[in-house]
Amino acid sequence: MIKSTLLAVAGLAAVLLSGCSASDSVASKPAPADQIKRGQYLAQAADCMVCHTAKDGSGAPFAGGYPIHSPFGVIYGTNITPDKEHGIGAWSADDFFTAVTEGITPKHRLFPAMPYASYKSMTREDSDAIYAYLMTKKPVALANKENGLSFPFSFRPGLFFWQSAFLKDQLPDVSSGASAEWQRGRYVTNVLGHCAECHTPRTMAGNLDLSQSYQGNPKLDRIGAPDITPSGLAARGWTTTDLATFFAKGVAPQGSAYGEMYPVVHFSTQHMSGKDISAIATYLMGDTPPAPQPLKTISADAALLKAGQRTYIAVCAGCHGLEGQGKPNVSVAMKGNSTLRDINPQNLIVSTLDGIAEQKFPNNVTMQEMPGFARTLSDLEMSQLVNFLRATWGGQAADVSAEQIKAFRSEKH
Amino acid sequence: MTIAQQALTVHINGQNVTLDVPEGLMMIDFLHEYLNLTGSRFGCGQGVCRACTVILDNTDGTSEEIRSCITGAHFFNGKKIRTIEGHGKKNDKGEVVAVSPIQQKFLEHYSFQCGYCTPGFVNAATVLIEKLQREPVAKEQVEETITHALDSHLCRCTGYVRYFEAVKDVILTTPGLIK
Ligand code: FES
Ligand code: FES
Repeated sequence: MIKSTLLAVAGLAAVLLSGCSASDSVASKPAPADQIKRGQYLAQAADCMVCHTAKDGSGAPFAGGYPIHSPFGVIYGTNITPDKEHGIGAWSADDFFTAVTEGITPKHRLFPAMPYASYKSMTREDSDAIYAYLMTKKPVALANKENGLSFPFSFRPGLFFWQSAFLKDQLPDVSSGASAEWQRGRYVTNVLGHCAECHTPRTMAGNLDLSQSYQGNPKLDRIGAPDITPSGLAARGWTTTDLATFFAKGVAPQGSAYGEMYPVVHFSTQHMSGKDISAIATYLMGDTPPAPQPLKTISADAALLKAGQRTYIAVCAGCHGLEGQGKPNVSVAMKGNSTLRDINPQNLIVSTLDGIAEQKFPNNVTMQEMPGFARTLSDLEMSQLVNFLRATWGGQAADVSAEQIKAFRSEKH
Repeated sequence: MTIAQQALTVHINGQNVTLDVPEGLMMIDFLHEYLNLTGSRFGCGQGVCRACTVILDNTDGTSEEIRSCITGAHFFNGKKIRTIEGHGKKNDKGEVVAVSPIQQKFLEHYSFQCGYCTPGFVNAATVLIEKLQREPVAKEQVEETITHALDSHLCRCTGYVRYFEAVKDVILTTPGLIK
Protein backbone atom coordinates (compact mmCIF):
# COMPACT_ATOMS: atom_id res chain seq x y z
CA MET A 1 0.00 0.00 0.00
CA ILE A 2 2.70 2.39 1.04
CA LYS A 3 4.72 1.45 -1.99
CA SER A 4 1.87 2.07 -4.42
CA THR A 5 1.08 5.42 -2.77
CA LEU A 6 4.67 6.48 -3.12
CA LEU A 7 4.74 5.43 -6.76
CA ALA A 8 1.59 7.43 -7.39
CA VAL A 9 3.22 10.43 -5.71
CA ALA A 10 6.31 9.97 -7.84
CA GLY A 11 4.20 9.94 -10.99
CA LEU A 12 2.28 13.01 -9.92
CA ALA A 13 5.45 14.83 -9.03
CA ALA A 14 6.91 13.99 -12.43
CA VAL A 15 3.86 15.46 -14.13
CA LEU A 16 4.02 18.56 -11.97
CA LEU A 17 7.69 19.02 -12.56
CA SER A 18 7.57 18.51 -16.30
CA GLY A 19 6.36 22.08 -16.64
CA CYS A 20 9.57 23.44 -15.22
CA SER A 21 12.25 24.13 -17.73
CA ALA A 22 15.69 25.05 -16.63
CA SER A 23 16.73 27.35 -19.38
CA ASP A 24 13.59 29.02 -20.68
CA SER A 25 14.47 32.50 -19.63
CA VAL A 26 17.93 32.48 -18.14
CA ALA A 27 18.98 36.09 -17.75
CA SER A 28 21.31 37.02 -20.51
CA LYS A 29 21.62 40.75 -19.92
CA PRO A 30 23.64 41.77 -16.90
CA ALA A 31 21.47 43.02 -14.06
CA PRO A 32 21.68 46.70 -13.16
CA ALA A 33 24.24 47.52 -10.50
CA ASP A 34 21.73 48.78 -7.96
CA GLN A 35 19.67 45.61 -8.28
CA ILE A 36 22.78 43.52 -7.62
CA LYS A 37 23.67 45.66 -4.63
CA ARG A 38 20.18 45.30 -3.28
CA GLY A 39 20.39 41.55 -3.92
CA GLN A 40 23.56 41.34 -1.87
CA TYR A 41 21.84 43.14 0.99
CA LEU A 42 18.81 40.87 0.77
CA ALA A 43 20.94 37.72 0.56
CA GLN A 44 22.55 38.82 3.82
CA ALA A 45 19.20 39.66 5.40
CA ALA A 46 17.89 36.26 4.30
CA ASP A 47 21.07 34.68 5.69
CA CYS A 48 21.68 32.54 2.60
CA MET A 49 25.41 32.25 3.09
CA VAL A 50 25.50 30.26 6.33
CA CYS A 51 23.62 27.22 5.09
CA HIS A 52 25.07 27.36 1.58
CA THR A 53 28.75 27.45 2.63
CA ALA A 54 30.83 24.66 4.18
CA LYS A 55 30.90 25.04 7.96
CA ASP A 56 34.65 24.85 8.50
CA GLY A 57 35.27 27.68 6.07
CA SER A 58 36.99 25.26 3.67
CA GLY A 59 34.63 25.88 0.79
CA ALA A 60 33.87 28.88 -1.35
CA PRO A 61 30.95 31.05 -0.26
CA PHE A 62 27.61 29.76 -1.58
CA ALA A 63 29.20 26.53 -2.90
CA GLY A 64 27.28 24.40 -0.41
CA GLY A 65 28.22 21.73 2.11
CA TYR A 66 26.86 23.02 5.41
CA PRO A 67 25.30 20.15 7.39
CA ILE A 68 21.83 20.76 8.80
CA HIS A 69 20.91 18.16 11.39
CA SER A 70 17.24 17.26 11.36
CA PRO A 71 15.46 14.50 13.25
CA PHE A 72 15.22 12.73 9.87
CA GLY A 73 18.94 12.82 9.14
CA VAL A 74 21.52 15.24 7.89
CA ILE A 75 20.80 17.53 4.95
CA TYR A 76 23.53 19.52 3.23
CA GLY A 77 23.16 23.08 2.00
CA THR A 78 23.54 23.08 -1.78
CA ASN A 79 25.73 24.88 -4.27
CA ILE A 80 23.98 28.11 -5.27
CA THR A 81 26.83 29.62 -7.25
CA PRO A 82 26.11 30.13 -10.98
CA ASP A 83 27.85 26.87 -11.96
CA LYS A 84 25.69 25.36 -14.71
CA GLU A 85 26.09 21.75 -13.66
CA HIS A 86 26.24 21.79 -9.87
CA GLY A 87 24.88 25.21 -9.01
CA ILE A 88 22.00 27.35 -10.20
CA GLY A 89 23.69 28.69 -13.34
CA ALA A 90 21.12 27.07 -15.62
CA TRP A 91 18.16 28.45 -13.70
CA SER A 92 16.04 31.38 -14.80
CA ALA A 93 14.81 34.06 -12.41
CA ASP A 94 11.43 32.26 -12.59
CA ASP A 95 13.06 28.98 -11.56
CA PHE A 96 14.79 30.74 -8.69
CA PHE A 97 11.58 32.33 -7.46
CA THR A 98 9.76 28.96 -7.56
CA ALA A 99 12.59 27.26 -5.67
CA VAL A 100 12.80 29.95 -3.00
CA THR A 101 9.07 30.40 -2.43
CA GLU A 102 7.68 26.94 -3.19
CA GLY A 103 10.61 24.60 -2.65
CA ILE A 104 10.53 23.23 -6.19
CA THR A 105 13.63 23.44 -8.36
CA PRO A 106 13.94 22.50 -12.04
CA LYS A 107 15.26 19.12 -10.88
CA HIS A 108 13.30 18.18 -7.78
CA ARG A 109 11.48 19.21 -4.66
CA LEU A 110 13.52 20.72 -1.84
CA PHE A 111 13.56 19.42 1.69
CA PRO A 112 12.13 21.97 4.11
CA ALA A 113 15.58 22.50 5.60
CA MET A 114 15.45 25.21 2.94
CA PRO A 115 13.12 27.64 4.72
CA TYR A 116 10.66 28.11 1.86
CA ALA A 117 7.84 27.85 4.39
CA SER A 118 9.08 31.28 5.51
CA TYR A 119 10.33 32.54 2.17
CA LYS A 120 6.99 31.75 0.55
CA SER A 121 5.91 35.38 1.02
CA MET A 122 9.09 36.84 -0.44
CA THR A 123 8.30 39.46 -3.06
CA ARG A 124 9.16 38.73 -6.66
CA GLU A 125 11.27 41.87 -6.72
CA ASP A 126 13.39 40.71 -3.76
CA SER A 127 13.79 37.23 -5.20
CA ASP A 128 14.93 38.69 -8.54
CA ALA A 129 17.46 40.92 -6.79
CA ILE A 130 18.95 37.99 -4.85
CA TYR A 131 19.05 35.99 -8.08
CA ALA A 132 20.82 38.85 -9.87
CA TYR A 133 23.37 39.05 -7.07
CA LEU A 134 24.05 35.31 -6.96
CA MET A 135 24.56 35.30 -10.73
CA THR A 136 27.47 37.71 -10.29
CA LYS A 137 29.32 35.23 -8.07
CA LYS A 138 32.10 33.06 -9.45
CA PRO A 139 30.73 29.67 -10.54
CA VAL A 140 32.17 26.88 -8.40
CA ALA A 141 32.12 23.41 -9.96
CA LEU A 142 31.56 21.58 -6.69
CA ALA A 143 29.15 18.68 -6.61
CA ASN A 144 26.46 18.71 -3.94
CA LYS A 145 26.88 16.37 -1.00
CA GLU A 146 24.63 13.34 -0.66
CA ASN A 147 22.11 13.89 2.13
CA GLY A 148 22.14 11.44 5.00
CA LEU A 149 18.39 10.91 5.13
CA SER A 150 16.83 7.51 5.60
CA PHE A 151 13.87 6.22 3.59
CA PRO A 152 11.07 7.34 3.39
CA PHE A 153 12.34 10.84 4.25
CA SER A 154 14.87 10.69 1.46
CA PHE A 155 12.08 10.20 -1.10
CA ARG A 156 11.71 13.65 -2.61
CA PRO A 157 8.41 13.18 -4.47
CA GLY A 158 6.86 12.45 -1.07
CA LEU A 159 7.52 16.11 -0.30
CA PHE A 160 4.51 16.90 -2.47
CA PHE A 161 2.31 15.99 0.50
CA TRP A 162 4.38 17.99 2.94
CA GLN A 163 4.35 21.02 0.70
CA SER A 164 0.62 20.81 -0.05
CA ALA A 165 -0.16 20.40 3.64
CA PHE A 166 2.10 23.00 5.18
CA LEU A 167 2.86 25.67 2.63
CA LYS A 168 -0.59 27.18 3.03
CA ASP A 169 -0.17 27.89 6.72
CA GLN A 170 0.21 31.53 7.63
CA LEU A 171 2.62 32.25 10.44
CA PRO A 172 0.69 33.90 13.28
CA ASP A 173 2.10 37.29 14.23
CA VAL A 174 4.41 37.23 17.20
CA SER A 175 3.19 40.57 18.51
CA SER A 176 0.55 43.17 17.74
CA GLY A 177 1.22 46.37 15.92
CA ALA A 178 0.25 48.46 12.95
CA SER A 179 3.04 50.99 12.49
CA ALA A 180 4.99 51.06 9.23
CA GLU A 181 8.05 49.92 11.16
CA TRP A 182 6.16 46.96 12.58
CA GLN A 183 4.89 46.03 9.09
CA ARG A 184 8.39 46.14 7.67
CA GLY A 185 9.61 44.16 10.69
CA ARG A 186 7.04 41.48 10.00
CA TYR A 187 8.49 40.96 6.51
CA VAL A 188 12.14 41.13 7.58
CA THR A 189 11.57 38.82 10.57
CA ASN A 190 9.09 36.30 9.24
CA VAL A 191 10.16 36.14 5.62
CA LEU A 192 13.74 37.28 5.03
CA GLY A 193 15.21 36.52 8.44
CA HIS A 194 13.09 33.34 8.69
CA CYS A 195 13.51 33.62 12.46
CA ALA A 196 10.56 31.34 13.19
CA GLU A 197 12.36 28.41 11.55
CA CYS A 198 14.68 28.08 14.56
CA HIS A 199 12.61 29.72 17.29
CA THR A 200 9.47 27.61 16.81
CA PRO A 201 9.20 23.97 17.84
CA ARG A 202 8.46 21.44 15.11
CA THR A 203 5.87 18.68 14.99
CA MET A 204 6.61 15.04 14.24
CA ALA A 205 6.15 15.84 10.54
CA GLY A 206 8.93 18.40 10.70
CA ASN A 207 6.72 21.43 10.09
CA LEU A 208 6.60 24.42 12.41
CA ASP A 209 4.15 23.98 15.25
CA LEU A 210 2.31 27.23 14.66
CA SER A 211 0.37 26.95 17.90
CA GLN A 212 3.68 27.72 19.60
CA SER A 213 5.26 30.05 17.07
CA TYR A 214 8.32 31.90 18.33
CA GLN A 215 8.06 30.22 21.74
CA GLY A 216 11.50 28.64 21.33
CA ASN A 217 12.83 25.29 20.18
CA PRO A 218 15.04 23.59 22.76
CA LYS A 219 15.63 20.73 20.33
CA LEU A 220 17.27 22.89 17.67
CA ASP A 221 20.73 21.67 18.67
CA ARG A 222 22.64 21.21 21.91
CA ILE A 223 22.10 24.92 22.35
CA GLY A 224 18.39 25.48 21.87
CA ALA A 225 16.63 28.52 20.41
CA PRO A 226 14.98 30.54 23.20
CA ASP A 227 11.46 31.95 23.40
CA ILE A 228 11.39 35.26 21.50
CA THR A 229 7.75 36.22 21.96
CA PRO A 230 7.29 39.67 23.55
CA SER A 231 6.44 38.13 26.92
CA GLY A 232 9.31 35.61 26.69
CA LEU A 233 11.79 38.36 25.86
CA ALA A 234 10.49 40.78 28.49
CA ALA A 235 10.68 38.03 31.12
CA ARG A 236 14.41 37.82 30.41
CA GLY A 237 14.86 41.59 30.59
CA TRP A 238 14.91 42.44 26.88
CA THR A 239 13.75 45.77 25.52
CA THR A 240 13.28 46.85 21.92
CA THR A 241 16.42 48.98 22.14
CA ASP A 242 18.56 46.18 23.61
CA LEU A 243 17.34 43.77 20.95
CA ALA A 244 18.34 46.24 18.23
CA THR A 245 21.78 46.57 19.86
CA PHE A 246 22.07 42.78 19.94
CA PHE A 247 21.27 42.39 16.23
CA ALA A 248 23.65 45.19 15.24
CA LYS A 249 26.56 44.37 17.55
CA GLY A 250 26.03 40.79 18.71
CA VAL A 251 26.39 41.92 22.32
CA ALA A 252 23.83 43.56 24.60
CA PRO A 253 23.55 43.95 28.37
CA GLN A 254 21.68 40.61 28.37
CA GLY A 255 24.57 38.71 26.77
CA SER A 256 26.20 37.88 23.43
CA ALA A 257 25.04 35.81 20.48
CA TYR A 258 26.22 32.20 20.72
CA GLY A 259 25.22 28.79 19.44
CA GLU A 260 23.38 29.00 16.12
CA MET A 261 22.68 32.69 16.72
CA TYR A 262 26.35 33.61 16.42
CA PRO A 263 26.57 32.99 12.65
CA VAL A 264 23.21 34.72 12.25
CA VAL A 265 24.63 37.93 13.70
CA HIS A 266 27.99 37.40 12.02
CA PHE A 267 26.72 36.84 8.49
CA SER A 268 23.32 38.48 8.57
CA THR A 269 21.95 40.92 11.13
CA GLN A 270 25.08 43.03 11.65
CA HIS A 271 25.00 43.89 7.94
CA MET A 272 21.41 45.10 8.01
CA SER A 273 20.48 48.76 7.90
CA GLY A 274 19.63 50.45 11.20
CA LYS A 275 16.08 50.77 9.94
CA ASP A 276 15.64 47.06 9.28
CA ILE A 277 17.26 46.15 12.59
CA SER A 278 14.86 48.44 14.46
CA ALA A 279 12.02 46.98 12.45
CA ILE A 280 12.85 43.42 13.59
CA ALA A 281 13.13 44.55 17.20
CA THR A 282 9.82 46.39 16.94
CA TYR A 283 8.10 43.43 15.35
CA LEU A 284 9.39 41.02 18.01
CA MET A 285 8.36 43.26 20.91
CA GLY A 286 5.27 44.84 19.31
CA ASP A 287 4.24 48.46 18.89
CA THR A 288 3.44 48.56 22.61
CA PRO A 289 6.17 46.41 24.13
CA PRO A 290 5.75 44.79 27.53
CA ALA A 291 7.96 46.23 30.27
CA PRO A 292 11.17 44.29 30.92
CA GLN A 293 10.79 42.21 34.06
CA PRO A 294 13.04 43.11 37.00
CA LEU A 295 15.18 40.30 38.40
CA LYS A 296 13.21 38.26 40.91
CA THR A 297 14.72 37.59 44.30
CA ILE A 298 14.96 33.89 44.84
CA SER A 299 15.08 32.18 48.17
CA ALA A 300 17.21 29.07 48.10
CA ASP A 301 19.14 26.88 50.47
CA ALA A 302 22.13 28.97 51.65
CA ALA A 303 24.52 26.02 51.89
CA LEU A 304 23.67 24.95 48.37
CA LEU A 305 24.24 28.44 47.02
CA LYS A 306 27.50 28.71 48.93
CA ALA A 307 28.80 25.51 47.34
CA GLY A 308 27.89 26.87 43.91
CA GLN A 309 29.50 30.19 44.67
CA ARG A 310 32.76 28.45 45.62
CA THR A 311 32.83 26.72 42.27
CA TYR A 312 31.98 30.00 40.56
CA ILE A 313 34.92 31.73 42.25
CA ALA A 314 37.21 28.80 41.50
CA VAL A 315 36.64 28.55 37.77
CA CYS A 316 34.38 31.37 36.50
CA ALA A 317 35.03 34.58 38.42
CA GLY A 318 38.48 35.13 36.90
CA CYS A 319 36.71 36.13 33.68
CA HIS A 320 33.09 36.85 34.60
CA GLY A 321 33.97 38.86 37.72
CA LEU A 322 33.28 38.20 41.39
CA GLU A 323 30.03 40.15 41.14
CA GLY A 324 29.09 38.58 37.81
CA GLN A 325 29.73 41.86 36.09
CA GLY A 326 31.72 40.46 33.13
CA LYS A 327 34.69 42.16 31.45
CA PRO A 328 34.66 44.10 28.20
CA ASN A 329 36.20 42.10 25.35
CA VAL A 330 36.62 39.10 27.64
CA SER A 331 33.31 37.78 28.87
CA VAL A 332 29.65 38.71 29.17
CA ALA A 333 28.04 39.69 32.45
CA MET A 334 26.28 36.95 34.36
CA LYS A 335 24.09 39.39 36.25
CA GLY A 336 20.81 39.66 34.38
CA ASN A 337 22.12 37.43 31.58
CA SER A 338 19.36 36.22 29.28
CA THR A 339 20.54 32.61 29.46
CA LEU A 340 20.57 32.62 33.27
CA ARG A 341 17.10 34.15 33.24
CA ASP A 342 15.71 31.43 30.97
CA ILE A 343 13.36 29.15 32.86
CA ASN A 344 14.84 26.27 30.85
CA PRO A 345 18.40 25.65 32.14
CA GLN A 346 19.48 23.76 28.99
CA ASN A 347 21.59 26.46 27.35
CA LEU A 348 23.31 27.37 30.60
CA ILE A 349 24.15 23.73 31.31
CA VAL A 350 25.31 22.96 27.78
CA SER A 351 27.49 26.05 27.43
CA THR A 352 29.08 25.35 30.81
CA LEU A 353 29.78 21.74 29.81
CA ASP A 354 30.91 22.35 26.22
CA GLY A 355 32.33 25.89 26.40
CA ILE A 356 31.90 28.57 23.74
CA ALA A 357 34.43 29.27 20.99
CA GLU A 358 35.98 32.73 20.71
CA GLN A 359 33.59 35.24 19.18
CA LYS A 360 34.38 38.20 16.98
CA PHE A 361 31.80 40.96 16.77
CA PRO A 362 31.66 44.25 14.85
CA ASN A 363 33.93 47.15 15.85
CA ASN A 364 36.69 44.81 17.03
CA VAL A 365 34.68 43.59 19.98
CA THR A 366 35.62 40.06 20.94
CA MET A 367 34.52 37.60 23.53
CA GLN A 368 37.22 35.22 24.56
CA GLU A 369 36.98 31.49 24.21
CA MET A 370 35.19 30.00 27.18
CA PRO A 371 36.55 26.57 28.11
CA GLY A 372 34.09 23.75 28.70
CA PHE A 373 34.04 22.34 32.23
CA ALA A 374 32.75 18.84 31.49
CA ARG A 375 36.04 17.33 32.62
CA THR A 376 36.75 19.70 35.52
CA LEU A 377 33.42 19.62 37.35
CA SER A 378 31.36 16.69 38.58
CA ASP A 379 27.59 16.52 37.99
CA LEU A 380 27.01 17.68 41.55
CA GLU A 381 29.45 20.60 41.33
CA MET A 382 28.00 21.63 38.00
CA SER A 383 24.44 21.53 39.34
CA GLN A 384 25.47 23.64 42.35
CA LEU A 385 27.15 26.13 40.04
CA VAL A 386 24.17 26.35 37.69
CA ASN A 387 21.78 26.77 40.62
CA PHE A 388 23.93 29.50 42.12
CA LEU A 389 23.98 31.35 38.80
CA ARG A 390 20.25 30.99 38.21
CA ALA A 391 19.22 31.99 41.72
CA THR A 392 21.72 34.81 42.18
CA TRP A 393 21.77 36.54 38.81
CA GLY A 394 18.94 34.94 36.85
CA GLY A 395 15.93 35.16 39.16
CA GLN A 396 15.26 31.49 38.49
CA ALA A 397 14.68 28.63 40.90
CA ALA A 398 17.73 26.70 42.11
CA ASP A 399 16.16 23.43 41.07
CA VAL A 400 18.60 21.84 38.62
CA SER A 401 19.58 18.33 39.67
CA ALA A 402 22.84 16.45 39.15
CA GLU A 403 20.82 13.95 37.06
CA GLN A 404 19.82 16.71 34.66
CA ILE A 405 23.48 17.64 34.23
CA LYS A 406 24.32 14.02 33.60
CA ALA A 407 21.64 13.77 30.92
CA PHE A 408 23.10 16.71 29.01
CA ARG A 409 26.60 15.39 29.48
CA SER A 410 25.91 12.08 27.84
CA GLU A 411 23.85 13.52 25.01
CA LYS A 412 25.71 12.94 21.75
CA HIS A 413 25.32 15.10 18.68
CA MET B 1 33.70 45.71 55.07
CA THR B 2 35.38 42.48 55.99
CA ILE B 3 36.55 40.10 53.34
CA ALA B 4 35.51 36.53 54.06
CA GLN B 5 38.50 34.29 54.58
CA GLN B 6 38.64 30.62 53.86
CA ALA B 7 41.25 28.05 54.79
CA LEU B 8 43.41 26.78 51.94
CA THR B 9 45.86 23.91 51.86
CA VAL B 10 47.92 23.37 48.74
CA HIS B 11 50.91 21.17 48.08
CA ILE B 12 53.30 23.44 46.19
CA ASN B 13 56.69 22.38 44.84
CA GLY B 14 56.92 19.51 47.31
CA GLN B 15 55.67 21.32 50.40
CA ASN B 16 52.29 21.71 52.04
CA VAL B 17 51.11 25.26 52.62
CA THR B 18 48.08 26.08 54.77
CA LEU B 19 46.74 29.61 55.10
CA ASP B 20 43.50 31.53 55.53
CA VAL B 21 43.04 33.63 52.42
CA PRO B 22 40.20 35.75 50.97
CA GLU B 23 37.48 33.75 49.23
CA GLY B 24 37.73 35.49 45.86
CA LEU B 25 41.51 35.39 45.57
CA MET B 26 42.92 34.25 42.24
CA MET B 27 45.75 31.71 42.34
CA ILE B 28 48.35 34.00 40.82
CA ASP B 29 47.76 36.57 43.56
CA PHE B 30 48.05 33.86 46.17
CA LEU B 31 51.43 32.79 44.75
CA HIS B 32 52.71 36.36 44.45
CA GLU B 33 51.31 38.01 47.55
CA TYR B 34 51.19 35.23 50.12
CA LEU B 35 54.05 32.94 49.14
CA ASN B 36 56.42 35.33 47.38
CA LEU B 37 56.52 32.92 44.45
CA THR B 38 56.72 35.62 41.83
CA GLY B 39 58.02 33.51 38.95
CA SER B 40 54.56 32.84 37.48
CA ARG B 41 53.92 35.84 35.27
CA PHE B 42 50.82 37.96 35.16
CA GLY B 43 50.45 38.84 31.49
CA CYS B 44 46.95 39.36 30.15
CA GLY B 45 45.14 38.41 33.34
CA GLN B 46 42.32 36.99 31.28
CA GLY B 47 43.37 33.51 30.27
CA VAL B 48 44.82 34.23 26.84
CA CYS B 49 48.63 34.45 27.02
CA ARG B 50 49.33 31.58 29.43
CA ALA B 51 52.33 33.30 31.04
CA CYS B 52 50.73 32.44 34.40
CA THR B 53 50.49 28.68 33.75
CA VAL B 54 51.20 26.33 36.64
CA ILE B 55 51.27 22.55 36.64
CA LEU B 56 48.55 20.58 38.38
CA ASP B 57 49.61 17.07 39.41
CA ASN B 58 46.57 14.82 39.32
CA THR B 59 46.20 11.86 41.64
CA ASP B 60 46.29 9.45 38.69
CA GLY B 61 49.87 10.47 37.92
CA THR B 62 49.02 12.73 34.99
CA SER B 63 49.88 16.42 34.93
CA GLU B 64 48.11 19.33 33.28
CA GLU B 65 48.42 23.07 32.73
CA ILE B 66 46.20 25.49 34.62
CA ARG B 67 46.04 29.26 34.12
CA SER B 68 46.53 30.74 37.58
CA CYS B 69 45.22 34.19 36.61
CA ILE B 70 41.66 32.97 36.01
CA THR B 71 41.53 30.14 38.52
CA GLY B 72 40.60 30.83 42.12
CA ALA B 73 43.13 29.89 44.79
CA HIS B 74 40.60 27.61 46.47
CA PHE B 75 40.24 25.55 43.34
CA PHE B 76 43.60 24.10 44.38
CA ASN B 77 42.54 23.22 47.90
CA GLY B 78 43.92 19.75 48.68
CA LYS B 79 45.64 19.61 45.28
CA LYS B 80 49.27 19.33 44.28
CA ILE B 81 50.93 21.85 41.98
CA ARG B 82 54.31 22.88 40.62
CA THR B 83 55.32 26.42 39.70
CA ILE B 84 58.37 27.63 37.81
CA GLU B 85 60.23 27.77 41.12
CA GLY B 86 59.85 24.00 41.52
CA HIS B 87 61.82 22.78 38.49
CA GLY B 88 65.45 23.25 39.45
CA LYS B 89 67.35 20.99 41.84
CA LYS B 90 68.16 22.68 45.13
CA ASN B 91 70.79 21.99 47.77
CA ASP B 92 70.15 21.88 51.52
CA LYS B 93 70.42 25.64 51.74
CA GLY B 94 67.68 26.03 49.17
CA GLU B 95 70.03 27.23 46.44
CA VAL B 96 69.39 26.09 42.88
CA VAL B 97 72.21 23.82 41.80
CA ALA B 98 70.81 22.49 38.52
CA VAL B 99 68.01 23.41 36.15
CA SER B 100 65.65 20.89 34.56
CA PRO B 101 66.49 19.40 31.14
CA ILE B 102 63.86 21.58 29.46
CA GLN B 103 65.19 24.72 31.14
CA GLN B 104 68.70 23.72 30.07
CA LYS B 105 67.66 23.35 26.43
CA PHE B 106 65.84 26.70 26.50
CA LEU B 107 69.14 28.26 27.60
CA GLU B 108 71.20 26.43 24.99
CA HIS B 109 68.82 27.40 22.20
CA TYR B 110 68.55 31.05 23.31
CA SER B 111 64.82 30.45 23.29
CA PHE B 112 63.69 33.56 25.12
CA GLN B 113 64.49 37.22 25.04
CA CYS B 114 62.69 39.25 27.74
CA GLY B 115 61.68 35.99 29.41
CA TYR B 116 58.23 37.08 30.44
CA CYS B 117 56.54 34.13 28.77
CA THR B 118 59.20 31.62 29.77
CA PRO B 119 57.67 30.25 33.00
CA GLY B 120 54.54 29.37 31.02
CA PHE B 121 56.58 27.71 28.28
CA VAL B 122 58.68 25.74 30.78
CA ASN B 123 55.54 24.43 32.46
CA ALA B 124 53.81 23.61 29.17
CA ALA B 125 56.88 21.83 27.81
CA THR B 126 57.26 19.90 31.07
CA VAL B 127 53.64 18.74 30.92
CA LEU B 128 54.24 17.67 27.32
CA ILE B 129 57.40 15.69 28.16
CA GLU B 130 55.60 13.96 31.03
CA LYS B 131 52.75 13.06 28.72
CA LEU B 132 55.20 11.60 26.21
CA GLN B 133 56.78 9.53 28.98
CA ARG B 134 53.38 7.93 29.48
CA GLU B 135 52.32 7.90 25.84
CA PRO B 136 55.26 8.12 23.41
CA VAL B 137 54.53 9.27 19.85
CA ALA B 138 55.98 8.23 16.50
CA LYS B 139 58.93 10.30 15.29
CA GLU B 140 56.92 11.74 12.40
CA GLN B 141 54.38 13.12 14.85
CA VAL B 142 56.86 14.99 17.06
CA GLU B 143 56.59 18.36 15.35
CA GLU B 144 52.82 18.29 15.19
CA THR B 145 52.68 17.22 18.85
CA ILE B 146 54.86 20.13 19.96
CA THR B 147 52.87 22.62 17.93
CA HIS B 148 49.64 21.35 19.39
CA ALA B 149 50.98 21.46 22.97
CA LEU B 150 52.52 24.94 22.83
CA ASP B 151 50.21 26.59 20.34
CA SER B 152 48.18 28.58 22.83
CA HIS B 153 51.20 30.11 24.60
CA LEU B 154 52.04 33.63 23.49
CA CYS B 155 55.52 35.15 23.30
CA ARG B 156 55.51 38.88 22.56
CA CYS B 157 59.19 38.73 21.65
CA THR B 158 58.16 36.07 19.12
CA GLY B 159 60.75 33.49 20.11
CA TYR B 160 58.52 30.67 18.96
CA VAL B 161 60.98 28.93 16.63
CA ARG B 162 63.66 28.61 19.27
CA TYR B 163 61.24 27.35 21.87
CA PHE B 164 60.08 24.84 19.31
CA GLU B 165 63.61 23.72 18.47
CA ALA B 166 64.54 23.37 22.13
CA VAL B 167 61.51 21.22 22.94
CA LYS B 168 62.16 19.10 19.87
CA ASP B 169 65.78 18.66 20.99
CA VAL B 170 64.64 17.40 24.41
CA ILE B 171 62.15 14.99 22.89
CA LEU B 172 64.61 13.56 20.38
CA THR B 173 67.45 13.17 22.89
CA THR B 174 65.53 11.84 25.89
CA PRO B 175 65.05 8.06 25.74
CA GLY B 176 61.49 6.76 25.87
CA LEU B 177 59.57 9.70 24.44
CA ILE B 178 59.39 8.32 20.90
CA LYS B 179 58.07 4.93 19.90
S1 FES C 1 48.17 35.98 32.58
FE1 FES C 1 47.08 34.17 32.72
S2 FES C 1 46.73 33.64 30.71
FE2 FES C 1 47.67 35.60 30.52
S1 FES D 1 60.57 36.16 25.51
FE1 FES D 1 59.58 38.04 25.73
S2 FES D 1 57.52 37.44 25.73
FE2 FES D 1 58.49 35.67 25.23
